[in-house]
Amino acid sequence: MTASDTRAAPQGDSLSTAPVVAVRDAHRDYRMGQEVVRALRGVSLEIAPGDYVAIVGPSGCGKSTLLNLLGVVDRPTEGQVLIQGRDVGAMRDREATSFRLRNIGFVFQRFYLMAMLSARENVELPMAEAGMSAAARIARARELLDYVGLGARERHRPGQLSGGEQQRVAIARALANRPGLLLADEPTGELDAHTGAEIIGLFRRLNEDGTTVVVVTHDGELAAAARRTIHMRDGQIIPPT
Amino acid sequence: MIRTLAAASLRRHPARTILAILGVAVAGALLLDMVMLGTGMRESFRRFLLVQGFQLRIAPKGTLPMDTEATINGASALLRTLRTNPDIIAITPVLGAQIHVLQGTRAITSFAVGIDESTEADYQLEAGTNVAAPDHIVGNAAFLTAMHVHRGDTVDVVTGFDPQLRTYVGRRRLVVVGRGRFFYTSAEQPVAAVPLATMQAMGGPERADRVSLVLARVRDSANADSAAAWVDRTIPRVSTISTDAAMRQVDERMGYFRQLAVILAAVSLIVGFLLVTTLVTVSVNERLGEIAVMRAIGVRRVHIVQQIVLEGVTLSLVGAVAGLGLGLVTAHFLNAILSDFPGLPATFHFFLFQPSAAARSLGLLVIAGILAGVYPAWRAASLPIAGTLRREAIA
Amino acid sequence: MVSHRVALIAATCTLLATAAVIASAQTTSRVPAAVAARSIAIDERFAEDEHLKVGDRVVISGDPGAAATGSGDTAVIAAITKQGTDPSEIARDEYRVRLHLTDLQRLTGAADRVDRFAIRTAGGAAADSVRASINAAAFGFHAYRSIDVAVGTSRTFQVVSRFHHAIALITIVASGIFLLCILLLRVEERRRDIAALRLIGISRRSVVWSVVLEAALISVVGSALGTGIGWLGSLLINWHYRGVYRTPLAFALVTPNIVVAAVVLAIGLGVGAGFVAAMRLVRTPPLTLFGR
Repeated sequence: MTASDTRAAPQGDSLSTAPVVAVRDAHRDYRMGQEVVRALRGVSLEIAPGDYVAIVGPSGCGKSTLLNLLGVVDRPTEGQVLIQGRDVGAMRDREATSFRLRNIGFVFQRFYLMAMLSARENVELPMAEAGMSAAARIARARELLDYVGLGARERHRPGQLSGGEQQRVAIARALANRPGLLLADEPTGELDAHTGAEIIGLFRRLNEDGTTVVVVTHDGELAAAARRTIHMRDGQIIPPT
Repeated sequence: MIRTLAAASLRRHPARTILAILGVAVAGALLLDMVMLGTGMRESFRRFLLVQGFQLRIAPKGTLPMDTEATINGASALLRTLRTNPDIIAITPVLGAQIHVLQGTRAITSFAVGIDESTEADYQLEAGTNVAAPDHIVGNAAFLTAMHVHRGDTVDVVTGFDPQLRTYVGRRRLVVVGRGRFFYTSAEQPVAAVPLATMQAMGGPERADRVSLVLARVRDSANADSAAAWVDRTIPRVSTISTDAAMRQVDERMGYFRQLAVILAAVSLIVGFLLVTTLVTVSVNERLGEIAVMRAIGVRRVHIVQQIVLEGVTLSLVGAVAGLGLGLVTAHFLNAILSDFPGLPATFHFFLFQPSAAARSLGLLVIAGILAGVYPAWRAASLPIAGTLRREAIA
Repeated sequence: MVSHRVALIAATCTLLATAAVIASAQTTSRVPAAVAARSIAIDERFAEDEHLKVGDRVVISGDPGAAATGSGDTAVIAAITKQGTDPSEIARDEYRVRLHLTDLQRLTGAADRVDRFAIRTAGGAAADSVRASINAAAFGFHAYRSIDVAVGTSRTFQVVSRFHHAIALITIVASGIFLLCILLLRVEERRRDIAALRLIGISRRSVVWSVVLEAALISVVGSALGTGIGWLGSLLINWHYRGVYRTPLAFALVTPNIVVAAVVLAIGLGVGAGFVAAMRLVRTPPLTLFGR
């Protein structure tokens, strides 16, 4: 499998050089009882196609909130979030869902695989949702499992796989519909150092094969593997010194 | 994939799923039984009344057909009057009375009806021939057993028997020509049919022109209730009851069973609904993280709802099918209990299986299953994705 | 033709089929003894439906339809009796008219005839010996013990009672499964709490005990609520059916035995389900409970 197999098909010549992600003065406030928590306070950022960005910072600095905005599972209170040139904050729920399905791959700290489905069925899930035929999605799920090194374990259920293997299945699932942007929230957070290193290697390979990757992490090694690191504190990006 | 996920979710806790299906099955069985009781009893009674196609029953004024020993005098004049109405196309008079069969010093009691030989009014012949001659008698199985007689035997029959003085009003030697299944008496009660003229003659001059009841058939195009009103108007000494009026009376008097059926059917529906709702709600609460992830990776809200509703539907559908079998078995058992009602006609059933009623009741259960799944499904699919994931990560 | 044996279906208001036992009737009002000789007693439903009162004159006849021909005898309503509480009669919707025996005999042309005699004996043993002597000596008679007659006439109710028991059995099975399911779910919902308790060193025994205790508590509270709802239900049922059948009979009774049976069943099922569910959970390693 090559880079073109894992990343999105080009959206058109005019967009090929435009940033995949453009965040402009994004704010995100939460109401917790009587208090308003200002999780993001005017974040702006651009990520070019093929980039590999690590977002780091102390707990509660707003990095997961930013990732949620990039993943179109949350919307800014103020400001604008453009993914592949589209203002995702203005999308209705149905449109946002469809956008996530085809353009964004998610990897979570706790893997979140469907416990009763096999590894292959887990990978098939987003493709089935996208309306792909059974034969086509089985073939692609096998390719992806081969890519993450789990070709032999397609019939295993998550409970029969190690943490690292589960995370690799989750990565294969995230790549299923050839997303333009792969987002990962602490992907090595639940793994030991050795397994974490394997996952770091996999992310690097994915990026080398052309996938735009954004990871939120505390893991210094994972952050070091990225091309670019963004530091955050108190809901803001700390400018590079 | 929705089906796979729903099935996978039900497989996750097999004991729980089986228990829920079992619960729905028992609730479904009770629902089916109660629908069978509520609608079947009425339908059975309607069939019972219409078994020979006579819609009108004409009885002595103020009485119900064969409910008392009262009789209508001047039967031939009554029949002549009835024949003048063009809407009445067939008439059959019946005279019921107690008879005794003398066997040595013993006198065995039985009920007997004098019928018009041209219509097989009260029974369906099981063996032999109908009463065709004045000395013919047809009995039910209980009659033949009680009298220790077989077809071809002769019986010594008396009416108006006084056991103290051993006197009687009329006496005949009659030949048993057939065995019949009598519609309106219980199977264990001895009952026999003889020609009406024989029955009237055996009653002496007092009974010569009397009948207990006249059955009348009304043209299909005519209204039975108007014909009944005409009879009551024209012949004031009789009361006429149409099948519809009898049904209304049954509805009124059997209200207890119908109301019991409605209450228990409602309770079983509620139990089924609560069971499925609880199970689906708990199952959804356990999977909030999974559901949020599915939404995050782009699974549409409607597909989440479909998957969860499908779980509820599967539980209620499988439960309903199992309930159908279980319900038929329990209905048989309950019908057997109620069949012990003293004097209940053999043709009457409290529980009557009607495919349409069964389909309706089990359909109702499946609809309850769908509704049971809709709320938890919609609630789960509407949860904010980011917030749910954060909460699940903390948990 | 409806057999008169279909007791529940029959509804008639004939004056004929009544036993003339006026002495046993419980009267609500009486008229002075000076009333004319041919006096009758009617039941309160009849009085209410036909707006009759003590002292009114009515025409009675043994011949149905006599009113149309103008024949029959005039009688004075001397008393209005309370409705009897014989369960076998509730569905018949009949009026009861009580006549002096001789009046009824004359009216029906059954001179010097009766359906039956009631005989009071000195005691149970005497009843048996009197019965035996009557059956041995009297030609054409048969004596029965009152209790046997009562059993025969209450067969309808025995059938209804058996039917109710069968229905109760089915509903108990249904509610048992329901209870089992709810409690299993409730315990399973708390698997993370239980895992946490196990991790901080609470013994399996204590965990099981706490779960069982909780299940028992829920069952007790549920039973108390259920008893209250059942009691209210019985009031409603009695009010409704007493109105429908116009009888003082009780259709639903919440007896101490029933309450005890229901509470024992609920607690038994609750504790059983709690125990089974708790045992399943404590046997699973705490970390697996967390990870599920």
